[in-house]
Formats: sequence, structure tokens, C-alpha cells
Amino acid sequence: MAEGESASPARTLRPEFTGSGGEYFRVWVVNLLFSLVTLGIYSAWAKVRKKKYLYGNTRLDGDSFDYFARPETILKGRIIAVAVLLVYALAGELHPESRFAFWALAALAAPWVIVRSLLFNARNSAWRGLRFHFNGTAGGAARVFLGLTAVTVVTLGLGYPWFAARRRRYVLGNHALGTSRFACELPTASFYWLYLRALLMWIGLLVPLGFLAYLTVFSPLSRAAIAPAVFAFAPVIGGYAAYAVVYGYLQARTANLMWNSTYGPGLRFHSDLRARKLIGIYIGNVLAAVASAGLLIPWAVVRTLKYRLSCLAVIVEQEMVHEADPAFARVGATGQELGDFFNLDLGI
Amino acid sequence: MSVLKARYFDGQRSIGHDVSVVLGGGSLKIVGQDIDLLFNPHRVRVAPRVADAPRWIYLPGGGACVLEDNDAVDALSRGSRFAPFLHRLESRPAWAALALLLVVASLWVLIDRGVPFAAEQVALRIPPAAENDLGRHTLASLDRFYMQPSQLSAPRQKMLTEEFNALAASAPDLPPHRLIFRSSPRIGPNAFALPGGTIVITDQLVTLAQSDQQVMAVLAHELGHLAHRHAMRSLLQGSATALIIAGVTGDVTSTTSLAASAPVVLLHAKYSRDFEREADRYGIELLRKDNISPRNFALILERLEAANKGRGSVPGFLASHPPTKEREALVREADGH
Repeated sequence: MAEGESASPARTLRPEFTGSGGEYFRVWVVNLLFSLVTLGIYSAWAKVRKKKYLYGNTRLDGDSFDYFARPETILKGRIIAVAVLLVYALAGELHPESRFAFWALAALAAPWVIVRSLLFNARNSAWRGLRFHFNGTAGGAARVFLGLTAVTVVTLGLGYPWFAARRRRYVLGNHALGTSRFACELPTASFYWLYLRALLMWIGLLVPLGFLAYLTVFSPLSRAAIAPAVFAFAPVIGGYAAYAVVYGYLQARTANLMWNSTYGPGLRFHSDLRARKLIGIYIGNVLAAVASAGLLIPWAVVRTLKYRLSCLAVIVEQEMVHEADPAFARVGATGQELGDFFNLDLGI
Repeated sequence: MSVLKARYFDGQRSIGHDVSVVLGGGSLKIVGQDIDLLFNPHRVRVAPRVADAPRWIYLPGGGACVLEDNDAVDALSRGSRFAPFLHRLESRPAWAALALLLVVASLWVLIDRGVPFAAEQVALRIPPAAENDLGRHTLASLDRFYMQPSQLSAPRQKMLTEEFNALAASAPDLPPHRLIFRSSPRIGPNAFALPGGTIVITDQLVTLAQSDQQVMAVLAHELGHLAHRHAMRSLLQGSATALIIAGVTGDVTSTTSLAASAPVVLLHAKYSRDFEREADRYGIELLRKDNISPRNFALILERLEAANKGRGSVPGFLASHPPTKEREALVREADGH
């Protein structure tokens, strides 16, 4: 990478989303229809069109992002994924023991699948005409995803915050824009504090809910019909709400921690998501999606994206010109087809 | 000759240049400060239009241009006829409304007809022996938690088995099957067909029935489940509907996917009722072949319903069944012949 002309004072760039929920709804519904009538085949094209819309309308420093994966490649990945899924579901039902063998195989394949999936997405995304890249190796993914999962299990969950931190560091720290690599130095201790607070929050919410459940379902009060039967649903709905609260809190705080410890050549990131706002958005999304039988999903997607982008900032401390990776073109010719074909697109 | 404003990127460095794209005279020119490029328009690839998102033009050699004026790009690029058509569909509210109606209609056709039809076609091609393992496991766990050995005398069991075999002998399309007896005060009067062809009948049902013909009426219904491969079809339909729902709600955050499990439960109940109806029709047909009046089926249904009143949800024979009134109407119709 070449250095810029001058060391100007830091600039704060805020990405923004310039699309609209209504426009995205029209794209979404037509693509959903085509996916349904082609029995899922068109879904690969639909995925590219939807991502193209979302990426294209995301702008940073005046220039938009681009997503240009080939739908044919995604279709191949989807066919394989569906075949694997069906074999797993049917074999697992008919011969329950086969699930263990399947899980063992899936665990072995997972690091490779994760790397291929991130690599596929990165290579097919660009900003200012430069492709993103993912430098992680399957070995590195195995250490993080298999090794630390094992640690989490052995320590009865105590290792989980460590795993959560390392997982994000692995994903973000291996990304690059051209040759400009990002780095992520996550303080594991902050993750422990975060998860401890989430745990206390969860307990704090569950105790009154348990009491409510006791009152409405088991206690003599409920038998005396003082509490109408509708109240029996209150603990269930409360349980979902409590889940959304803790989930939204963790999402907001981990994203902040993650972005605030990520930097690249001449730049760093800053995120100030507010947990309360994100929880409100998540609960609103669920209510809207349920009440509209799924119709408001595109609106929910755009709303969430807009908020998340509005809280992210790129702080340019030194103007840099990012350059394309020359090794990149060479890889593209030979490895791409192989990698793309096995991109299982499992939504990791 | 037409000129469009654009941003140009060389694909090597993250620098944007404000340029003019000039198309005409069989060439595409990109002109800006320190930039003067000439391309063959046939080697330039224009990205498909998606709503009004910025439009990318990919140049030979790795460079790219992005343009904000989609309509002007459309006017210039005479690509396939499908792309503008697609954009028209995606941009007009009237088409969105129509698409929405068609989404609902095609979901309904897919779930009401498509999935059951495909599942049946596939199930009939899978050998019944594939279900043996599943049936053994289900029976083992039922035996461990719910059922005890039958208290019926050996001659009584033998008699019922012979009647059952006579009934099954006149049944069409039957995979391998066997009848076993169990006692289960917890399950109560009930009978169910397990995957792999085992039909379980409880002592409580044999006692509840006023005649062996009523027992046979229940068993004829269970043979219907076996003949129509309902266990396998239920598995296949479950996987297929899960895939459809995942596809429709695909791009949602995981909090919303909690809500996506509700339709799975509803669909399962619907498919289950459809299977019961199919088994009812098969059973009644079989009874008539064996010269047993279908009225026996109506009588045992009434007794089962009375006996199961006040019991919680019961697996098997009475679970997610069609309304008893509807089943009795079916019997009356069959009896009228």
C-alpha cells in the first residue's frame, strides 16, 4: 500500500444506507415468487439480487459497495447443501445412530466450510472497485472453532466468552480490502464481564418470570380461577421477551467491543450501538413479522441494517490508498472454481 | 453519441475518478482528468439493474465504473429482454401486489398439493425395510416408558392374530406387517402403526371393543397407514416444509426465526389429519371386502372418544384426527352402498 500525500487530521466516515424498505419489499416479493415457482432454483439469483440491492445502497465516503457473486456458483452450493441436509434429516430419523457419525463428519468439515464461506463472500464483495479478501486458513478455523468449542465443553461453559472473543477476532482479523489487512485485538477480559452481566440479567429476568409462572399455572390462586387462562401464556411471552432482551444486549455490546478493537492501515473502526435501541428493534421486528405473516420481513431487514450502519464509523487517521492483491488474480483462475463449488452457503 | 457521468475505479487502487462515459461510433470512451480509455462495448459487462441501486459496469482488464442514472444505462445497453422485464416487475407497486397474491397462491399449492404428491412418489420408491430401524427404536422406547406385556391369554391373542391375518390377506398394496399386543394403562385404549410395519394394539382397546369386528375395524384403519406409507411420507413432508419455510423466511435474524416454527407445527397437524382421512377410507374399503360392516368403525370411534375424554393428548389413533362427525358421515356413506 502506498502512503497518502499528507497526514491530515482524522476524518470520521459514517456508512449510510440509501435504499428504502418499500423498494426492497418490491424486489424481495418478486424474487420470492420466482424462487417458489421454480422450486427454489431461482433462489440463487434472488440471493444475488437482494445482496446487490443492499450492498449497492450502502455507501462509505461517497462510494457504494458492490456484490457480484455468480448465481450459478451459489446454485451449485445450494444443491449440495440441500442434498446433505436431506440425507442428514432422513438418515437421522430412520437410523438414529447415524446422527453421531454425521455430527463427527460435520465437525471435521466445519473449519473448512467456514473458511470457504467467508472467502466466497469476501471475494465477491468490493468497495471502490477493490475486492475484499479473507486470509484465514482451515487450520486456524479448526483451532478456534473446534479447539475452543472443546474447551468450552470441558470447562462447562466457563470458556465460552473466550471462544466468543476469539471467534470474532478470527473472522474480522483475517479480512482484508485488497492487500490492506484488518487486525482485531479483542480484550478477552471485557468479554467475560459482558457475559457475566448478561448472565445476571438473564437470572434477574427469569426469577420474576418463574414466580409469574408459578402464580398463573401451579398456585392455588390459578386454580381458584382468579387468574384467567389467558394469563397462562404470560410466562411464555415473557420468556421470549427476556430472551430478546438478553440477545439484543449481547449483540449490541459484542458488536461495539469487536469494532472498537478493529483497525486497518491508517484507519480504525468505532461502533456505538445502544443495547436498548437494538432490543427495541429486534422485538419490533418479531412482532411485525408475526403480525404481517412475514410480509414485513424486508422492512425489518432494512430497518436493522440502517440502525447498525448508523452506529458504525470508520475513522481515517491517515489517508491511504488501498491496493489490489496481485496474488489474487492468480488464485482466482485455479482455486476459485474448487472453492466456489464447495461453498456450502450454510449461512454462517 | 451519449455522455453519462460516472465514477471510475481501475481495480488496482482505491481511488475514485469522476469521469464521463461516452458511447458512440462503435466504442465506449471513459474520459476524465488524466484518464482517457477506449473499450470495445461488446467486451463491457453491465450489471443487472436492481431497483435504483447504483449501477456497475465492469470493464475488460479489471476496472469498473459506477453510474447513478439507471434509466440512461438501460437506454444504452441493449442486453437481454429479460433484464428490463425483471426490473419492471420489481419496481411497480401493482406488480408487487400481484406477486404477493401469487406468492400466497403458490405457497398454498406447494404445501397443499406439491409436497404431499412429491413425498408420496418418493416414499413409494423407498423399500419398506428402510423404516425397520426407526420402528424398532420407537417400539423400544414405548416399551420402556409406556407399555407392559399384554395380559391377554395366548389363545385370545392367537384368535385375534388369525382374524387380523385374514383381514390383511384381502388388503391391497401391503408392505410386510405384524400385529403385537401390549398392555398400557397410561396410553389407554389405542392402536398404532409403527414405521416398518408393526401394528401395536393395547389390551385396553380389545376390552373396550364390544366385538372382534370392532377391533378389526381399528386394525383395518391402521393397515391403511401402512399401505399408504404414512410414516415415511410424514418424514419427507416434514423435511420439505422445513426447507420451504427456511427459504421464505431466510434473510431474517435469529430472533424472528423463533416465530417461524409455528407454521411447522400447524402444517404437521394438517398433514396428519389428511393421513387419517386416507387411512379411514382404506380401512372402510377393506372392511367391506372382508364382509364386516363399516358401522363397526363408527361404533368403536364413539366408544374411543368417550373413553379418551378427560385424557390428555394421546399419541396414535386419536391424535390430530379429523372431527368424529366427519368420520361418521364417511361410514354412513360407505354403509349406504
